[in-house]
Amino acid sequence: MGALIVYLAYMGLQLFVVDHVSPLTFLFSSNFAPDEKHPGALVFIIGSVTITLFAICVGGPLGVAVGIFLSLLAPKRLAGAMKPAIEILVGIPSVVYGWLGLTLLVPLVREHAGSQTGFGLLTAGIVLSIMILPTVVSLSEDALRAVPVALQEGSMSLGATRWQTIWNVLLPAARGGLTVAVILGIARAIGEALAVQMVIGNSAVLPKGLLAPTAALTTEIVTDMGSAQEGTVLFHSLFSMALLLLLIAMALIFAVRLALRRSA
Amino acid sequence: MITMMSMPAPPDGVLPETAPKMRVENLNVYYGKLQAIKNASLRVPKNRVTALIGPSGCGKSTFVRALNRMHDLNPSVRVEGVVTLDDEDIYAPGVDPVAVRHRIGMVFQRPNPFPKSIFDNVVYGLRIHGARGRRHLMELAERSLRHAALWDEVKDRLNHSALELSGGQQQRLCIARVVAVEPEVIVMDEPASALDPIATSKIEDLIGELKKDYTVVIVTHSMQQAARISDYTAFFLMGDLIETGKTRDIFFKPTDKRTEDYITGRYG
Amino acid sequence: MAAAAASFHVRSAGAVRRRAVNALMTGALWAAALSILVLLAFFVGYILYLGAPAISWHFLTAPPSEVDAGGGIGPEIFNSFYILILTLFFTTPIAMAGGIYLQEYARPGLFTSAVQFCAESLATVPSIVMGLFGLLVFVTMLHWKVTALGGALTLTLLNLPALMRVTQEALASVPDAFREGSMALGATQWQTIRRVVLPSAIAPLTTGIVLIAGRIFGETAALIFTAGVSVSTGRSAYDFGLFHQAETLSVHLWYTHSESLVPDAARVGNGSALVLLVMVLIFNLSARFIGLGLSRRFMGK
Repeated sequence: MGALIVYLAYMGLQLFVVDHVSPLTFLFSSNFAPDEKHPGALVFIIGSVTITLFAICVGGPLGVAVGIFLSLLAPKRLAGAMKPAIEILVGIPSVVYGWLGLTLLVPLVREHAGSQTGFGLLTAGIVLSIMILPTVVSLSEDALRAVPVALQEGSMSLGATRWQTIWNVLLPAARGGLTVAVILGIARAIGEALAVQMVIGNSAVLPKGLLAPTAALTTEIVTDMGSAQEGTVLFHSLFSMALLLLLIAMALIFAVRLALRRSA
Repeated sequence: MITMMSMPAPPDGVLPETAPKMRVENLNVYYGKLQAIKNASLRVPKNRVTALIGPSGCGKSTFVRALNRMHDLNPSVRVEGVVTLDDEDIYAPGVDPVAVRHRIGMVFQRPNPFPKSIFDNVVYGLRIHGARGRRHLMELAERSLRHAALWDEVKDRLNHSALELSGGQQQRLCIARVVAVEPEVIVMDEPASALDPIATSKIEDLIGELKKDYTVVIVTHSMQQAARISDYTAFFLMGDLIETGKTRDIFFKPTDKRTEDYITGRYG
Repeated sequence: MAAAAASFHVRSAGAVRRRAVNALMTGALWAAALSILVLLAFFVGYILYLGAPAISWHFLTAPPSEVDAGGGIGPEIFNSFYILILTLFFTTPIAMAGGIYLQEYARPGLFTSAVQFCAESLATVPSIVMGLFGLLVFVTMLHWKVTALGGALTLTLLNLPALMRVTQEALASVPDAFREGSMALGATQWQTIRRVVLPSAIAPLTTGIVLIAGRIFGETAALIFTAGVSVSTGRSAYDFGLFHQAETLSVHLWYTHSESLVPDAARVGNGSALVLLVMVLIFNLSARFIGLGLSRRFMGK
């Protein structure tokens, strides 16, 4: 782990140290022109953040809802059938999700949402929403199962309906674990590369709306790494993006720790 | 070995008989294939304390959970028979179990306050049933906490977490929480078993007060406790309701040999 | 009876509303759960529908084509298994040693929590970032170029934390009474772990390893720059060379879509997606059955 951080930090900082590119340019300029020593990565940062937010806004509540269902409402048989289904959803390779997005969703978005190409933020967001579902489902199920049955009984015995019990007692009591579920969903979404790369359109321009094609940090790495010459500004800036992703991942782990400590 | 002479005497001045608030007829409860309650019938008199005694595992808790349809929460439990409140069958088709639990409250073996403030715990049931307004809720909270003999201990820290309270205080908070929604019957499942003797005696005093306004059914594993606080007693053994009657009669002239054996300590 | 139903029935308008909300939300939760099942069934059906026409003996065994139509995925399937086996070969001993240490030996302390923290952080490193790390170490620094070995080692790093976690959880599921029973007979801690704890944990351990194997099989992002996007052009398409490039099936699916020039890319992609999905199903089912079978044999249930 240490080697990984040191190495990526070393490579990721080359852009600023060797090529003398200002970190501000990298973070806040939307003009990605590495050949002119102006590798502004804002487009990719905005792309990553937007699709991640989209995924967590759609996949988060849906995942928690299924977690509630599995931990509290599901008849044993149905729960027994859903467990393997969710494991399979976890197991489906991200390229297959990407392929599904490409063959199914892209034409759908093109014809019904009024997008010209079908590639773009919306398509990528939907694919990611589905991909983070299993993570959010199983973690929120665990979080709710950890709430003592006594609390549920206490609420029901006062004449609360099942939903009132869930909303007023169980969800607040499981807050810590649910936060972790959402954070790890975010981690999964922001780090996903290929499924997004196959449907986001891969053009380094600021998107004008959810339907416009753009790019994200991960997808830009995938798209340009193969052709990047070692030692060039492009090569270095791709490593800076990897470093940024690594830092985000670590920040999310810290957030998980914080959430767990506060709920304990 | 406990002899009959060492048993504390039941309350002096036996109260006059009252009409039954609840009736249980031919109740059977099954956990899957296992039958936990076998054909039990019982009358629960109004404004009196009815104690259920018996060795552990005899079905007392299973029985009281059938009184407010708590078994509905567990799909593997099946309940048969008739349980009435004011002559209305709570298991009749079309009856809303949520409405049943509104009228028949429950206090559990281990205190189970919600991880919220003391105030939010007390008014939880009120809010659930639609009460609003801070001042209005405050009045009701104070009344319930006084009723549960907890007001003086917590009045300065109503916004603190309920989990900061001692076990005995938590249990009285749970009683206040039930009292606040003004049920007609309060069912208690060994409410003092997790508490120390001082906290236990406070709970027992409280039960004596509660019966002025409520009908109380209490499960206890302590015969002394049943003798101290109850007006009526029912004895369970291995899922059978063996004998019921006035507490004084059950303790001093049991009609069934098995009851006598238990009272005199022959079952351990 | 009419009176009975009336008085246990909802009286105030508020109560009616609360019941309605309850019914509505319960319905919504059911719908959410069922939508996942429908979604999965639809995915499987759709991929089957797209991919089935592409599948033939030729497609499954022939080498891929760079320019012309009619390429197969034989070497890719081989490479996927080859890299999977290499990765498991490296990952399993290290992860199990780490898991056993953390679960059975480690005392809570700075070192233990540092190891735990590293494992957790490693688990959230995006696989594309791990791929760049692999590129840096194996391709650039060691001058291996893109190789099967470099890909497998990158995947080892990527999956170590998950497998360590699986080991820890499997060991944690063994009741302490088993350990105490063995220690009370004078067994050393290592004897206890080897003869009592590990055999009791074999079912969840195997299930976990097979599920992770499924994930390794489908991993793509970390392999593009470490194991390459072409199959070996050496003596045979089925090449055991550790230092030869080795495009796996999942990488091939991505490559077909994004870079390849073949006119029948859609057919190759559809077929590859179907094969990948079937493999995932096989891994999941066998994890389930192996787990069940083993626990029946060892635990008598």
